[in-house]
Amino acid sequence: MQRKITEHIGSLAFVAIVFAVLLVLLKQREAADRQARVKAVAPYLSIPGCDFGNPRDRALFNETLNLFRPASPRANDTLISAMESYRQSQFTDPNLKTGAGEQGLTWHVLGRLSLMYLQFVLVYGIVLALTFYGAQSLGIYRFVRMKQGRGSYLEEFLHLVSGPKVRGRTPSRIMEASFLLLKTFLKGAAYAILFSPAYVIGYSFKASFETDSLLFMILLGVVSNGLLVNYANKFYTLLATENRKGYVETALVKNLSGEFFWNAPGGIAYRSILSLPRHFPGHVLQHIYLNARHQYFPTLKEQASFLITGLIIIEMALNIQGHLCYELLQNILYRQYDVVLTILFGIFLLVKVTDILVDVRHHREGLRYENKN
Amino acid sequence: MKTRTKGQAVFRFAQRSEQHVRWVCFWIAGLGLLWLWDLFFLNSPALSLVRTALFNSLLAGLLVVFFSMTLGWGTGLLVYSLEKRKNTLPYIVVTFVFNLIRSLPQIVGILLGYVLLTALIVQDILRSPFLQLVSMSFVVSLFVFLEVMDLIRERIAHYKQLDFFDAMLCCGIKESRIVNVEILRKNSLAHLVHKGVAVFGMALFLQCSIDFILSVGLSTEVSSTNFPATLGSMLARMDSKQDILAISMVFSDPSYVTSLFTRHLQGLNIAFALVFTLVCAYNIANGLVRRYHL
Repeated sequence: MQRKITEHIGSLAFVAIVFAVLLVLLKQREAADRQARVKAVAPYLSIPGCDFGNPRDRALFNETLNLFRPASPRANDTLISAMESYRQSQFTDPNLKTGAGEQGLTWHVLGRLSLMYLQFVLVYGIVLALTFYGAQSLGIYRFVRMKQGRGSYLEEFLHLVSGPKVRGRTPSRIMEASFLLLKTFLKGAAYAILFSPAYVIGYSFKASFETDSLLFMILLGVVSNGLLVNYANKFYTLLATENRKGYVETALVKNLSGEFFWNAPGGIAYRSILSLPRHFPGHVLQHIYLNARHQYFPTLKEQASFLITGLIIIEMALNIQGHLCYELLQNILYRQYDVVLTILFGIFLLVKVTDILVDVRHHREGLRYENKN
Repeated sequence: MKTRTKGQAVFRFAQRSEQHVRWVCFWIAGLGLLWLWDLFFLNSPALSLVRTALFNSLLAGLLVVFFSMTLGWGTGLLVYSLEKRKNTLPYIVVTFVFNLIRSLPQIVGILLGYVLLTALIVQDILRSPFLQLVSMSFVVSLFVFLEVMDLIRERIAHYKQLDFFDAMLCCGIKESRIVNVEILRKNSLAHLVHKGVAVFGMALFLQCSIDFILSVGLSTEVSSTNFPATLGSMLARMDSKQDILAISMVFSDPSYVTSLFTRHLQGLNIAFALVFTLVCAYNIANGLVRRYHL
């Protein structure tokens, strides 16, 4: 365990050093670039009587340049465009503006970023908790359905349609088939939403709902990008793997219930899937669930990283102003690399803290499972 | 004599075939139907763009699968050999680097990779669109291949515990052959195919998302117009965005739903192709799990 913690802290320190070095290098390079740009164009811009804001003067200068240096028309064009961009930067460069917002990483900017970061962490924590809970609930639901021997609604529909026809039961069969078809359609629609990238759902609702709210972001984080459905599938796979192990049969021999019908005596109650903490007293699912949950816990690290990817996509793609990743986008745009690196480090820190917490918790639970605690 | 209608035959096929085969057929049929619908209702310049974007996205997805498999296999063997030879320092360094990549949110890593690619495109080093697509796929696979590496290590560790491994060694078979041929190729093919399908879905999702973000205007240099058209960059076009925005019109005017499939086809088309492919990839992967008890 100590080795894992050391590795996490080591990687945090490594990334911090890399970012710091990168920051210094970028600042130096930026300053050198600016100096080189000024040095290359300054002699021409200070030609007396030549106004480069005037198109005629510009054209004259271009022709003169081509006369003096006829062998290098490309270099002449490059010089002209460099002069033009330098002149433009005098008006557009935020660093040269007075009265504009603060540039670079100041205490004020850091304070503003901290608030956004806290908001990001809050959203992240809530979405992580909801998806962790939701993935387990969905996984158990699928597992119970599998144990009941039920396939998908479409399979049930096909079975019903192609099954033997009983005289006099046609109306009820049609009703049943329609109901199954409706369920198939609803399930398909749910899958379409769960697998949709956040920006597709976001834009679909943008004109009708307030998509900039925190609640919408949380909702989008949970239901979009395939996060919930993929991790539910992982939990289901773990349950199915556990179910194949020998202890399950031993438990059944020792008189634990192996009945999987909904709300039946000795079966599984719907509310036990949704309740927290989940308990299936006297049922073999209790042991299958606990063992699967223990193995599922480390995947929370992977889930956390993917969730952050999803949140970044949501904030960047939907242009949600005043949020951390929108700020990241803006600062990349204005080349404020110190702010960019600070935000990236904050995001990396969040992933690493999650990793450490998950590892510690998993280790402690592991000790309990191995009777070493 | 009992005759069977075509509809019944389709039902029988759908019922009897395995889940992954069924979903592959659904996917092909779905995209085929979409293409037919587009032929009737989508204007030809848009149709041509959508076709190119879909082809590029699918090709990029396949390339990511190829790169991820190659990288995953190679690094899996590297870590295994370092672990086996008890080369502590190189092992620690290699796992440290891999864990570092793991901790970096994929989208951030890919974004940084795209910044590098843009620099290469601007300097005219990456000229051909195919080469650009290959490089884009390589960047994506750098942040996806770890899943394959984990699988490779897991499979080797699993078989190493069994007598089968020692028995083969006793028979004089080289360890590299046991690992590469007996364990990975002969006994883990279903696992690798399953992982490949999952990686394909993930690659498609990540690439479309990154292209979409680039279109929001990350910078004037890193722009989606620098890269070959994909579903993500097509979805990010103003007309496609407007098509997606039109979906919310249905909430205020439900009768508008009929217009969606004819007047707002471009955006909906791309969104459907993307989501449908992701759903199908998920179901194909699940079908493989069910069929081969993975």
